[in-house]
Amino acid sequence: MKIDKILVSVFQRRFKSITEEMSITLTKTTRSPILCEAKDFVTGLYDGKGKMLEQTENLPILSFSLGPVCEYIVEYFGDEIYPGDIIFHNDVFSMGNQNNDVAVYKPIFYKDKLLAWSAAKGHQADIGGPVAGGYNPKATEVWQETLRIPPVKVYERGKLRKDVWDLIFANIRFDIVAADMRAQIGSCVVGERGVLKLAEKYGLEVFESHKEHLFDSTEKMMRAEIKTIPNGVYEGESTVYYDGRTPGSKYKIRVKITVKDEEITFDYSDTDPQTDGFVNGTYTSSASATLLTFLQMVNPDMPHNDGMVRPVKIVIPEGTILNAKYPAATTFGNHLCPPNADAIIRALSQAIPERVTAGWNQLLCYLMSGYDPRKKDSYVDIGFLGLKGGSGATSGVDGYDHIGMIDASGGVLDQDYEMFEQQTPHLLLKHEYWPDSAGAGQWRGGLGVETKFKIGGENTKVVTFGDGDVEPPFGLFEGKRATLNKIELRYPDGKVYKATSKDLIENVSSGTILFQQAGGGGGYGSPYLRDPANVGKEVKNGIISLKQAKKDYGVIINPETLEVNIEETKKLRKKLK
Amino acid sequence: MTGEYKIGIDVGGTFTDFLLTSKDGSSEIYKVLSTPDDPSVGLMNGLEEMAKGKNVSLKDFIKKVKTVVHGTTVTTNAVLTRQGAKTGLLTTKGLRDALEMRRGIREEQYNNRYTNVEPLVPRYLRYPVEERLDYKGDILTELKKSDVLDAAEWFKKEGIEAVAICFMNSFANDINESKAAEIIKEKLGSGFNESGVYLTISSEFLPSIRFYDRISTTVLNSYVGPILRSYLTSLTKKLKDAGFEGVLLIMQSNGGVVSPQVAMDKAAVTLLSGPAAGPVAGVEYTSIQDYDDCLTIDMGGTSFDAALIKDKTPLVTTEGEINRLRLALPMLGIVTIGAGGGSIGWVDEGGLLRMGPQSAGSKPGPACYDLGGELPTCTDADLVLGYLDKDFFAGGKIPLNYDRAEKAIKEKIAGPLGMNVIEAASGMYHVINVNMASGVREVSVKRGHDPREFPLVVAGGAGPVHACMIALELEIPVMIIPKESSIFCAAGMLMSDLKHNFVRTYSTLLNKIDKQKFRSLFHEMKREATELLTSEHIPKESIQYVYSLDMRYVKQYHEVNVEVTREELEKEDIESVVLKFHPEHNRLYGYSLKEEGTSIELINLRLLSIGKTEKPKFRQEEYDKEDSSKALKKKRKVYLPLKKAFEEVPVYNGHQLRFGNKIFGPAIIEQVNTTTFITPEYNVICDKYGSYTMYLKAKEGEINKKIVGI
Repeated sequence: MKIDKILVSVFQRRFKSITEEMSITLTKTTRSPILCEAKDFVTGLYDGKGKMLEQTENLPILSFSLGPVCEYIVEYFGDEIYPGDIIFHNDVFSMGNQNNDVAVYKPIFYKDKLLAWSAAKGHQADIGGPVAGGYNPKATEVWQETLRIPPVKVYERGKLRKDVWDLIFANIRFDIVAADMRAQIGSCVVGERGVLKLAEKYGLEVFESHKEHLFDSTEKMMRAEIKTIPNGVYEGESTVYYDGRTPGSKYKIRVKITVKDEEITFDYSDTDPQTDGFVNGTYTSSASATLLTFLQMVNPDMPHNDGMVRPVKIVIPEGTILNAKYPAATTFGNHLCPPNADAIIRALSQAIPERVTAGWNQLLCYLMSGYDPRKKDSYVDIGFLGLKGGSGATSGVDGYDHIGMIDASGGVLDQDYEMFEQQTPHLLLKHEYWPDSAGAGQWRGGLGVETKFKIGGENTKVVTFGDGDVEPPFGLFEGKRATLNKIELRYPDGKVYKATSKDLIENVSSGTILFQQAGGGGGYGSPYLRDPANVGKEVKNGIISLKQAKKDYGVIINPETLEVNIEETKKLRKKLK
Repeated sequence: MTGEYKIGIDVGGTFTDFLLTSKDGSSEIYKVLSTPDDPSVGLMNGLEEMAKGKNVSLKDFIKKVKTVVHGTTVTTNAVLTRQGAKTGLLTTKGLRDALEMRRGIREEQYNNRYTNVEPLVPRYLRYPVEERLDYKGDILTELKKSDVLDAAEWFKKEGIEAVAICFMNSFANDINESKAAEIIKEKLGSGFNESGVYLTISSEFLPSIRFYDRISTTVLNSYVGPILRSYLTSLTKKLKDAGFEGVLLIMQSNGGVVSPQVAMDKAAVTLLSGPAAGPVAGVEYTSIQDYDDCLTIDMGGTSFDAALIKDKTPLVTTEGEINRLRLALPMLGIVTIGAGGGSIGWVDEGGLLRMGPQSAGSKPGPACYDLGGELPTCTDADLVLGYLDKDFFAGGKIPLNYDRAEKAIKEKIAGPLGMNVIEAASGMYHVINVNMASGVREVSVKRGHDPREFPLVVAGGAGPVHACMIALELEIPVMIIPKESSIFCAAGMLMSDLKHNFVRTYSTLLNKIDKQKFRSLFHEMKREATELLTSEHIPKESIQYVYSLDMRYVKQYHEVNVEVTREELEKEDIESVVLKFHPEHNRLYGYSLKEEGTSIELINLRLLSIGKTEKPKFRQEEYDKEDSSKALKKKRKVYLPLKKAFEEVPVYNGHQLRFGNKIFGPAIIEQVNTTTFITPEYNVICDKYGSYTMYLKAKEGEINKKIVGI
């Protein structure tokens, strides 16, 4: 079949816009703030075999398991996939990335042939298990975490399987989850409509052949990108702190990256064994982390489809902390992305120093649930506005302020302040940039934030999860490191409790203040090379103190006029060098 | 007051367009070069030219002008180029950075070189003030006046020209903002027309929930206020000095017009007003043919605007953005994408052909302009494919160089893709059409409408060259190309009414609504609306009110806007409001929760007040005949995209086409400012106003009946 190259471009554009339409549908109709405000979800299209056609990745860490799960589903149901089927899935031992991230798959048939799949996956407010919201730091096996959903049909041939539906939702606390899963089904229907239009217009044969050509062309693009990295073997490592069970515990992530011409291999064979708690990754959560970190070092315009991943090999042996063996607890798995990214960045900084960033602020987050007497109803909320620290700086560009963890890269948004106070019984006292939190450098890291609010309501339970409270984000090429994360509860009686990075705190009384610091990102290049005028401007704006300007940047500023003293600065910098 | 003429004036990047209409129904198009440094110069030049055209002095001409409607881009440009006023912000202590954070978004997630937008107010001018209201608007902390006094002192020292005030939860109670405003006015001088600072108070300007949306919009208003104030003051003076005694009206982004005095207070309503008259014109051109709905597209040199009209009402959004900054005022939901005659074609690393969003602009322009441009653009492809005549572009004012176009396409596209120049040019034509079609999808499919059910109104210099292929891509059977297609927005301005939007947040479950409060909020808005329109000399009997509610299922975060009638409001008929909400949600998002009996939450009450203006009447022609051979100019070879081959087709002189004349595709119609390419799938018939209706051949009978009546 002759390939019309122009039509290949058309297909790519259409796939993209269909997944965007699916994404808008979800944003507008879901009810959990985790989905509709923070956009913790992804929508995608896959071919009949489950290969990625295109995705809209609001939260990239969820993204790269949708394809593998789709392939698993195709194999699992074999010839028992029918038009009108709707399949749910979250199981981490059949390629899922995290229990809370529940996917809906819808097969798309054209003239009796399974042509493609549409899928939507979102972080649900609850998916059963002992702790509302799904994060149980005490879990040691998967059954202590959440409900497991291996591929299951909730609709078959267009008919609701009420018994199956009821079984699932009988295990889930909040009724908004059922509504949000319906919204995900709606999103898949929107995806199906779009794909069918395309198939009807161009016919099956053209669809298939041009899709293959699209894969090939994207693969070519990825190969060209890899080719720009010098051949070699690059190693990097990072540390995961505290497994939620043994204070002071540490685990190493070690990656060996081999670049050979147009192919790249990420080998994690020397990574430490899995923990006996919930701080474990699954293959797909860890491989997603690898891909999304690497994608930030190549051309951002690359289409996202199966061709993109072909020249990238990811080896993660079972039994390591990044790919735990059944039946390990793994809910923390997505949050191993930041240390995983650190290891990759350290390795590739040797090969492509201009394209890597310094260390990013790692996630440290709270999930709060309780009862809101104003509404006579329970609520659950993830503190998106408090968790977003700064990104690492890169050559020529400062880090991004208040962007949040690398696995979302600015795709997850703060709750709007006024909506936050309407939807939860709390009072927001502070949410501002945290001065001096960014790592100094010729290019400084992104700023972190400080958040403070007064907790209201009853039966309040706080779960914390994350990292970044032991080792600060690193600087690169003489850039300085940044600041640590912290969450603390200031009780009305004056006692202060500093939460660990994996904690469960119950019966938090009304009037308690939650104080959180999300740290900045690491600096890049020597701070003594930073333009003093720029330092002066940031002092004037109150995000760098006079003290840090002098100590880290070697810039002397008149405390009265806030003018930079060029002469003194030159002298001081000479001395410091 | 009587007057002979009405003039619509649309200031574009390259040209300022004028539509001059006379009492007798005749109309004329004028175009002069824009003068970006002071747009009023180009505007006055245009008026001079019109006077010359009428063989009278400017003074004698302008005396006869009854109305001037003006679309200005000074505010939009001030934001895009960061030339707005030095602005200070007063905000609640502890929340000083919301404006700059933009809720922590990085639009390009995989791009570590992508930086945040510089805030319109730098941090040192964002002054935190101690005060606090709770979520209901009850005072938790009284306003600390000394903080405001300190701020005023600081702003004075810094030479601030404008101030914005936005406090947490002030949508529910304006008390602290009002107190702060009093102090600022006292210390820094007040008033919008005087020499004091320009002041915007969020609870007055946009009293609706969502802190970031409100603070961003309030700041935008202050940032552009002083510039619009001085522009309109000087323009009003210039017109008056020239002898103008008529009414000047200014275009807003909501598709309505406003008096200069009100525009000065609410300057942000003119942001992104550039394309807003297009959909208004679309309504008029399609109503003539008894359509209630339509899609409008406008393809210029660098951008492409698409909009949707339902029940003669252009779609409105409150989710606008300018340069990545939130602008939460109700505005027409126009989707703008980077596709125009100047869009540059390129081949990406994977070997895929892309078009735009980079544009060659007017300097150096497309390669065929022969002004030094070497990159292949959409216009170059259109020339190579024969759609444009190298000797009749802009009526021959801009000669096109075919060889330059061919060379650019060959080097940058055909070579790398291993194809010949024609294949490459047709590829460029196809890809840009697909891009534009997806812009149309964004205003239709993504908002729950099927584009096939809408006639497509085509405007802009380059629009009619691409219209057929965009329509085919979307399976749209009927297109309308207005006679004024090349100055579509200027025409739309003359058709716009005065429009003002009002909003109040009232967050409650619908079944627990306090009817007294509900009623008084609407009354309050109505009173304000009436006062405003009266100040703009609109008599009470010419005022219309449109009421609507923003609602959602309980715990959802995004609202659906549902219009309600006056009767429903007066009867406080909540039940019928509920019955309207479910199907609207279903239409937009594919499901409703009616069966489940899920509660509905009210968030905002909205009022749109419309002051009807008198519209120009266009002259109608007598029926001529079907035969159009007298307008036949010559024949020319053009590329037929679906046949993938050149064919000789007839070329018609559009200026000689009369009511009832028909043209059978494939063909070309040339006018001075527009070329229309009719593919073999479509025919064209000319209506009594001189506009073309282009339709799929199978629709012949139906269209004929509509246009000619038989």
